[in-house]
Amino acid sequence: MQELLELLKDGRSRSTKMLAAELGKPVEIVERDIEFLEKTGVIRRIEFSMCGSCNGCSTGDKKKTCPGCVPKDGFQNMGVMWEIV
Amino acid sequence: MTEKNEIVIALLGQPNSGKSTLFNGLTGLRQHVGNWPGKTVEKKEGSFTHGDKKYIVADLPGTYSLSANSDEEIITRDYIASGKADVVCILADSSQLERSLYMLSDFAGIEVPCFLLLNMSDVAKDQGKDINAKAMEDKLGISVVLFSAPEVKKYDSFYTALERAVSEKTVLNTASLEEKYNSIPEYSEIRNIIGDLKDGNRTGMWLAVKTLEGDMPVTAKVKAELGNEKAAELSSVIGKCDKGIVKAGECKFSWIDELTEGSVKKEKKAEGLGKFDRLITHRIWGKPVVVLTILLGLLLSFIPALPFMGIGSAIGMIPAPLNDALVGAGCPSFIAAFLCDVLIRCFSFVVQMLGFVFGVTLVFGLLEEIGVMARISYVFDNSMGKLGLQGKSVMPFLISFGCTMGGAAGTRVIDNWGQKVLTIALSWAIPCGAAWAVIPMLSTLFFGAWMPVIITVILLVMILHMWITAKLFGKALVKPSDRYGMIMELPPYHKPKWGSLLRFVFGRTKETFFRSFKVVLIVAAVFWLLSFTSSGSADNSILFKIGQAIEPVTMFFGMKWQTFVAFIASSLGKEGALGVLSTIFSGTGSITVGSMQSAETVSNLNELLLANISKPEALAFIFAITFNMPCIVALAATYQETHSAKWTAIIGLYYTATAMILACIAYHVGLLIW
Repeated sequence: MQELLELLKDGRSRSTKMLAAELGKPVEIVERDIEFLEKTGVIRRIEFSMCGSCNGCSTGDKKKTCPGCVPKDGFQNMGVMWEIV
Repeated sequence: MTEKNEIVIALLGQPNSGKSTLFNGLTGLRQHVGNWPGKTVEKKEGSFTHGDKKYIVADLPGTYSLSANSDEEIITRDYIASGKADVVCILADSSQLERSLYMLSDFAGIEVPCFLLLNMSDVAKDQGKDINAKAMEDKLGISVVLFSAPEVKKYDSFYTALERAVSEKTVLNTASLEEKYNSIPEYSEIRNIIGDLKDGNRTGMWLAVKTLEGDMPVTAKVKAELGNEKAAELSSVIGKCDKGIVKAGECKFSWIDELTEGSVKKEKKAEGLGKFDRLITHRIWGKPVVVLTILLGLLLSFIPALPFMGIGSAIGMIPAPLNDALVGAGCPSFIAAFLCDVLIRCFSFVVQMLGFVFGVTLVFGLLEEIGVMARISYVFDNSMGKLGLQGKSVMPFLISFGCTMGGAAGTRVIDNWGQKVLTIALSWAIPCGAAWAVIPMLSTLFFGAWMPVIITVILLVMILHMWITAKLFGKALVKPSDRYGMIMELPPYHKPKWGSLLRFVFGRTKETFFRSFKVVLIVAAVFWLLSFTSSGSADNSILFKIGQAIEPVTMFFGMKWQTFVAFIASSLGKEGALGVLSTIFSGTGSITVGSMQSAETVSNLNELLLANISKPEALAFIFAITFNMPCIVALAATYQETHSAKWTAIIGLYYTATAMILACIAYHVGLLIW
């Protein structure tokens, strides 16, 4: 995991498959490491909110978008991003 | 053991490890649910009888580990530490042992009789995994059972392991794990300071590793037990400890890997990047391929727009004969003119525009659905550093293609204020959804088959605009700092769900129709009134007089006063420009702008526009509205997100000025061509 964090110091982003290839580990092991780093607060998942006008996005009913900004079911398949805290 | 000689079993495992299924399978209806004292975390207890013994089962909250990161984790570990449980049944998901055994490794060092249940063994079998429970049992010193919680009639192995744990008090063998911990110098130092200290059933090893991990409650407890001198020594070791939690985690996973090595056989799957992934991640070809993909997507998206253009254009031919018919039938000319020049013309424009909304949403929705958009964001992620931004700025940019306001709101994830403001400033350069409806429509109208070239040039100018803006604003907003790369889990490619996609496309088209029609109609009505005169000649209107006065200046930027007014109106929303055009260039009935050519001879608004706006002027106008301020709501969203009136004003004025400069350049380039 320290190797993984070291790799990211060069500023380049990588997909899990690329990390696995560079670290010489299976993808599921890299995914396990990411899960651990996320759970322990070393990295954090980036949660995008796209709505600027309604209060429902960041508070209350935990909506991520409202139909006024992005229609229902929009931006559902954009993958996941993590950054170092 | 309870006062009634009942044996207490605690079920411990990560979320989705199957604890609740096992709990229900064991207790049936003999269970009660409440809350843990002082917490809103659900507490589930139940009972069952096996042989002549009665057992109480506590279904502990599903947690990733036994750290103190949440109420659930604290409740779970405090319950185990309290000694209330006679046996702990640790559940792990057989289909992903390398992950789910983390709980077992975190439990190691707590001396309570236990056994390991490898749940979902049927799923693991389907995955081609062959798990040797006996081999794991030998390494761990506790019972290890291959299990499937839903199969209630096959619980015999569970009962056998339970009885063994109760009678033999089998405790987890942690020698090999501690060997690994000892390879961490800070752990060894902490362990030496702690010595033989224990806290109930929690061994020195467990306390030392939690201290290394920076677990505050455990560290405080250990310090309190050690006394001042040793506590100070411990603080000194903790102070110089860097990434203790990562080092401890590596040891635990290494222990898990050794445990599963030789005990779990699985079919090897070929892993690697797919052809398209290899292409887009190529150092040289990656970006050109992605830019071409976007361009091709845009061009393809214009195909579905053609029928809409035809229908809209046909609607645009209705006002002239309708106006004559209405006036002939005795309808007041004011009402006839409003109906024809405002209402129907606005509707005609909006229908033509909707085709592009439909096409762009369909094609880019499809790219997103099949997983290509995520890859596009990945490819441009590394370019963000060159603009002085973080990788995650790419998402607000992508969102800005739909709505600049959404893009501005998307910057909430950027902690650095300067980077946030810069991201918003750059997102303004990206044509929003309304622009992608208006611009192709006008480009098709004025340039016909050359429309794809115009769109390509706009995209290239957008990139240049963003680069220049980043250089101009970046110095004041962003200080050089270390940039960490991000990790991205790209979604797998999959076939689109057409039903869901079409619902999305039609939903957006419908929403755009109502919003745009409202904006276009309001703007058109206002400008229609401004151009209205009782004499019927718009040459006497206030708007015409002001327009004539400013035209010598506006023509420097390649815009006649009419298109300049439409450019100003586009600040309210790109569609606003259409509202102005449809009003000022209306050629029917009694209210016409006298300066127009051929107003009497052409009945279709499109033809009227072509007759009155030259190609260089049209090019200037298209560039002006494309790179103008996105809309008034985006301006408000910018203030809301930046909390800076100064920077909101700077960005607003900067974009108005650059739009006019770009219009000027486009006009003069246009004069050279046409």
